[in-house]
Amino acid sequence: MTSRRTPLFSHHKELGAKIVDFAGWEMPIQYTSILSEHKAVRDGAGIFDVSHMGQIFVKGPETIDFLSYVTTWDMNRQKKGDCRYCHILDERGCIIDDTIVYTISEDSYMLIPNASKISKVFDWLSKNSEKFEVSLENLSDEYFCLALQGPDSSRLLGQHLNTSVGSFQLVKIGDTIISGTGYTGEKGCEIIGPLSEVVNHWESLVEMGAIPIGLGARDTLRLEKGYLLSGQDFDGNQTTLEADYSWVIDWNHDFIGKEALMDFQKKRYPKLRGILIEDRGIIRPGNLVFNNGSKISSLTSGSLSPSLRKGIGLAYLDLDIGTPITVEVRGNHLNGRVVRMPFL
Amino acid sequence: MSEVPDNLSYTKEHEWLSLDDDGNVKVGITDHAQDALSDVVFVELPEVGSSFSKGDSMAIAESVKAASDIYAPVSGKIISVNTKLEESPELINESPYDFGWMATIEPTEELEDLLNSDSYRELIA
Repeated sequence: MTSRRTPLFSHHKELGAKIVDFAGWEMPIQYTSILSEHKAVRDGAGIFDVSHMGQIFVKGPETIDFLSYVTTWDMNRQKKGDCRYCHILDERGCIIDDTIVYTISEDSYMLIPNASKISKVFDWLSKNSEKFEVSLENLSDEYFCLALQGPDSSRLLGQHLNTSVGSFQLVKIGDTIISGTGYTGEKGCEIIGPLSEVVNHWESLVEMGAIPIGLGARDTLRLEKGYLLSGQDFDGNQTTLEADYSWVIDWNHDFIGKEALMDFQKKRYPKLRGILIEDRGIIRPGNLVFNNGSKISSLTSGSLSPSLRKGIGLAYLDLDIGTPITVEVRGNHLNGRVVRMPFL
Repeated sequence: MSEVPDNLSYTKEHEWLSLDDDGNVKVGITDHAQDALSDVVFVELPEVGSSFSKGDSMAIAESVKAASDIYAPVSGKIISVNTKLEESPELINESPYDFGWMATIEPTEELEDLLNSDSYRELIA
């Protein structure tokens, strides 16, 4: 498979970015250093090219009923201009992908699936749309997405587009959508629009002082907040309940996977938990987790927290918050404990 | 451009060596290597007194994204390690040829297969 590039690829190269393959895309993993980029977002404002992410549009008179059926959220509760984070489940209640649903108008919605799941999500939605009067359009190849994140981002957005946006709200300027969303836990927004406009947005925001941020810092920023990474923290075999994201479920409506989740609830099951390492050392995805000397799980995510300067990770565990564990790294056991998320 | 001091020897694994007056060898990673690794956030150093054969992994330098083995450039015994790296691993990035040194080795064999600064510059060109 040939790698794909966003229109900003040459900009990334000129900025000295190290490029990696991510879900079939050649994307910047870092421009200067993950630590400094991470700090720039926590302290100032960073800009991410996340144009590899998808844009699926749903229109038609039964859009609300359809989206309520294929996601964990009841879209009747959304108003025009709202954005909602929720999960798309299969019949077993397992997460196909997590997404944000944008209420552009009463009968026009947009979903943002993860880059690696665009066709899977589109096929799944299409397959389940037959009973509904809706039309689906995958415009992922025609739209860009830039994330502007950090405490200074609202000032930069105001300077750039003379607008502001509330948390999980959206505003529309022409074909461009600005939403108060992101993946860093900081204040910020995402700008989504036709590909031809991405260079202008990028250049003017960078000129105003937004620091370009690669996927490396995007990962450490999201992990400190306990946000899920699609394909890593869930891979199609974990339910929303196991991921400990039950807050994205509205039980008062019917949706694919609901029955399975209701059965699942009766059982005792491991949940995705935060692990904070007290010893010096760095934990990585796949490292084994031990409790009382027995192997109990492995990490789905693991990294150094640049803010805490400690190892942090995620693992599916049937253990209470506070329980001591060890994580095996190259034969050494690093001491840590199960902690409440977010880490930061 | 990476800095490659003329007075050091190099390995193809991007380590530098300097020969001390007492015959011991000081080892670290090159400017090129620290740049490729990016922020070094953790260093696992060998124990003083331990012995390694040439090519053994004797230390590990980790960035946020990856762990990299540091291979013994010569067989011998570890005489000292730079314990400052435990608290300040970023010294490897800031000063790879000086404050970022990793270990000194008492060699048990002749130094071989090393590159001079010109050859190393060619390798990373």
